[in-house]
Amino acid sequence: MKKCILSFLIMVTCIAGYSQFSKATLQASGLTCAMCSKAVKVALEKVSFVKEVKVNIRQQEYSIAFKENSNTDFDELKKAVEDAGFSVASLKITGSFSAVDVEKDKHMKLDGKNFHFVNSNTQVLNGEKTFTIVDKDFLSAKEYKKYSAATKLECIKTGKAGECCVKDGIHSEERVYHVII
Amino acid sequence: MLILSFVVGFSALAVTAQGPIPNIADHRLDFTVADIKGDSIKLSSLKGKVLILDFWASWCGPCRFSNKHLVKLYNKYKDKGLEILSVSLDEEVNDWKKAVTKDKITWVQGIDRGGWDALAAIKWQVDALPSSFVVDKNGDVVAINLEKEDLEKKIKELLGL
Repeated sequence: MKKCILSFLIMVTCIAGYSQFSKATLQASGLTCAMCSKAVKVALEKVSFVKEVKVNIRQQEYSIAFKENSNTDFDELKKAVEDAGFSVASLKITGSFSAVDVEKDKHMKLDGKNFHFVNSNTQVLNGEKTFTIVDKDFLSAKEYKKYSAATKLECIKTGKAGECCVKDGIHSEERVYHVII
Repeated sequence: MLILSFVVGFSALAVTAQGPIPNIADHRLDFTVADIKGDSIKLSSLKGKVLILDFWASWCGPCRFSNKHLVKLYNKYKDKGLEILSVSLDEEVNDWKKAVTKDKITWVQGIDRGGWDALAAIKWQVDALPSSFVVDKNGDVVAINLEKEDLEKKIKELLGL
């Protein structure tokens, strides 16, 4: 029985491709020096799926390690930074992938979340890859403008899937992260 | 507001042997850091002086700005008994040394590498930079985060000028 379940899991994994996010690097900004306050670090450490936060002064960024096999929610990282009184200037997420087919403007589920690849060529992701989230309030307003102009799809404005992908089984209210590779 | 932040800031430090006012001789607040030559400086050894304990880092813009004021203040009052101990939370020693030279800092400089996790920063509950504490001749912490005119006024008062 156990073997059956195991082989079933392996089969599903093979069909869907494998993906798991393990870490992120985040930059915060605000009216005052974000790195001069412990607030962002403390807020990020309190997020349920965060294992460890390291402050990297040289790069002016926070290195965030996720707990293994945890349910990562990148909106929670943004919320933590905002609740600490700052905003996200950059969020790069890193994960391991196996045989994940990527296509520009295609919506797909990775590690339980929907992703929309804004700029990438058709390719197969294998090994460790890093995406930059380009949704509103995950980068500067100027950069967001640049990326939102790169796609004709409405979802980059709302962060929700909308009607475009109902046929693929993605409900219109579901969150979609817009990323670049 | 100042009183409130003082109380909040010291709520955990409040229970000292001397009473409700934190004192630098208390072992829970005392620390030893390396100065620019690598010699040890013990905070409690500065008891008896009017002291500003200043936490900063080379990468902290507001700290560098504040250094300009501290340099003027120190030059004005050093002969009258003012001492400053700056503790840098820099992780890179060279960044710290460069900043000390550039900002023309001549008072006692210590480094406690380790950013927010540095022991001195944890003992003094430093959660933002710059953070500064004014200490009187008895070693009591009498003010926190005073700036410019307010800081000078307090120092003059403590020096009896």
